[in-house]
This record gives sequence, structure tokens and C-alpha cells, in this order.
Amino acid sequence: MDRNNSRRQVAAMKQSLFDQGLLDEQFIQLEELQDDANPNFVEEIVTLYYRDSSRLISNLEQTLERNPLDFNKLDTIMHQFKGSSSSIGAKKVKAESSLIREYCRTGNAEGCRKSYQQMKKEYVALRKKLENYFQLARQAGPLERACRPK
Amino acid sequence: MTLVVDEHKMNDKFPIGMRVLAVDDDRTCLMILEKLLLKCQYHVTTAKNAIDALNLLRENKKNFDLVISNVHMPDMDGFKLLELIGLEMDLPVIMFSVNDDLKMVMKGITHGACDYLLKRVRLKEVQIIWQHVIRKKKGKRSNSDSVNGIDSAVIGSSDQNVKPYRKRKDKNENDDEEENEDDDDDDEDPSA
Repeated sequence: MDRNNSRRQVAAMKQSLFDQGLLDEQFIQLEELQDDANPNFVEEIVTLYYRDSSRLISNLEQTLERNPLDFNKLDTIMHQFKGSSSSIGAKKVKAESSLIREYCRTGNAEGCRKSYQQMKKEYVALRKKLENYFQLARQAGPLERACRPK
Repeated sequence: MTLVVDEHKMNDKFPIGMRVLAVDDDRTCLMILEKLLLKCQYHVTTAKNAIDALNLLRENKKNFDLVISNVHMPDMDGFKLLELIGLEMDLPVIMFSVNDDLKMVMKGITHGACDYLLKRVRLKEVQIIWQHVIRKKKGKRSNSDSVNGIDSAVIGSSDQNVKPYRKRKDKNENDDEEENEDDDDDDEDPSA
């Protein structure tokens, strides 16, 4: 059946995101919160995350452009960014964020800048993948329960 | 153990309908927290910063049973908010943070937090927060006459000449009790 096929594709896509280390357990927690009252809860949360974090990204880039680098300011923004990313289960983005914070602690400006580039790549890539995922999920129709990846 | 209904009216469906104020400047986290609380069938109000939270509480503290707040917020330190809520409303407050540093947790508890949760907050943790409301009420009832912790320190004074507690009075209590230098609008000035 077409629907089952679509659902299998959705499940496979989700599995792949987990296998690649892009998402963690938190994403499952969010799916478990989804219900009839909020059938698109996860997508709404992710959309909100990308909307709000884009402001943080601009702040980050402005801060990184300055010389000398204001490590305290950078760390403050990263603290917030990391917390937000963690709340949607963005595993790699969160890990890169931790790395930047470490570089802030040791006052390594080059490390900060390089890590930021990497983090931004992950952040943008995840957005695209999640957009595809949600589109496919919407086409497949609502799942009865959140299914855990293996 | 029977529950006595008092001015913080607890209906017989408690903790269903328990009124929670959730505070976090991160909208994503706040939305998730709200959903967690709704899943527990609590009644939820959200505030995106400490000032908004205080305003809501000051409007009428009887509108809320419990506050749950992030420690790190840009407009006001979560610990400061915690202190103010303790002083003004005496509601149970739960703090949460990404930071699990022992010193931070200690600071939260010593500033009066009922609990300190680590982000990412789990449904299981949120399901039992109602216990803090009960604990706090029990604690209040065993402090016989005191309405809040601040007053009880003064009521305990053994000096019979101590006048009723006034926040601004820090001079000695004898005859020259004319106007304070700093402030004229104390309408309970007892000077002859």
C-alpha cells in the first residue's frame, strides 16, 4: 500500500538522521509529545528553533568579525545557542557548539572561527534534511506512535 | 492525610489543573516546557523573561501555585527572580539550567529553590513537581502565625518595646522618631 510505503520511507529517513549522528534521543521525546492537540508539534518546534536561532547566528557572525575577539560575549551567545539546539535534539550542532565554548575558555580565536564554520555547515545541512523529513512525513500522514530508531 | 483547602484553592482534582508559571527566554525551550506541563494536565502560563514573570505574579500571586524558571536569563538573573518570589509571594520555585555545576545547584537551593532540574527536562520530572506545592503548604502551616518567613524572624523577638515591624526603620526606637532623613511618606509615623 502506498501509505505504508511512505511511512516506511519516513521511518528510514529518520533512522538515517540518527545513524549519521545528526539527531539524538531528545528528538524522540519531542515526537512523544505530539498528540491530537498538537499534531505538528515537532515541526513547529523545529521551525521556531530555526527562526530564533537565525538571530543568534547573526550575532555570532558579528562577534566573530571583531578583533580582538570578545570571548565572553561569544561564549554567552554560544551558551544560548547550544541550549536551544540541544532542546530539538540537534546532536552534531550541539557538539560543535561545545567545541566553540571550549575554544572560548582557552582564548583560541582561530579555533573559535574554524569550529564556527563547521557548526554552521551542520546547522544548515540539518535544516534541509529536517525540511525534507517533515514534508515526507506530512505526505505519509500521521503516525500512530513515535517509533524509536534501532 | 487530609488536605486543608486554603486561599490557594486546591480543587479536588489536584494536581490536575495546578497553575504553573513557566519562565525561559528561549522560545523553543519554553514551548517544549509548556507542552510537557500541559501533558501533565497542569494549567500553564508562560513568560519569556523575569520582568514579565514578576509582573504576572505581582498582579495576583493567588493565580499561581508554582513557578518554574530558567537560571540564565538576560534581563534578570534567575537567582534574583527566585529571591524576589520568595520575598514577595512565597511560592515554590523550581530552577532549571543546562549548567549542572555543583556550585550553581548549591546556589539555587540556598537561595530557596525547591528543586534544581537539569535541561533537557524530562516528562517524568515534570510529573512530580506538584509535590513541592504540598510540601510548601505543609511547611507554612507548621509556622503557626507567620504569613511569610521574613515576618517570623521579627515576631520571635523577646524585646517587649520593639515596635511593629516596619521595613524602613533601622534607627533606634526611642523618642526622636521624627521624619527619617531619606523618606517622608511613611504614614505610620508615631511621633507625638
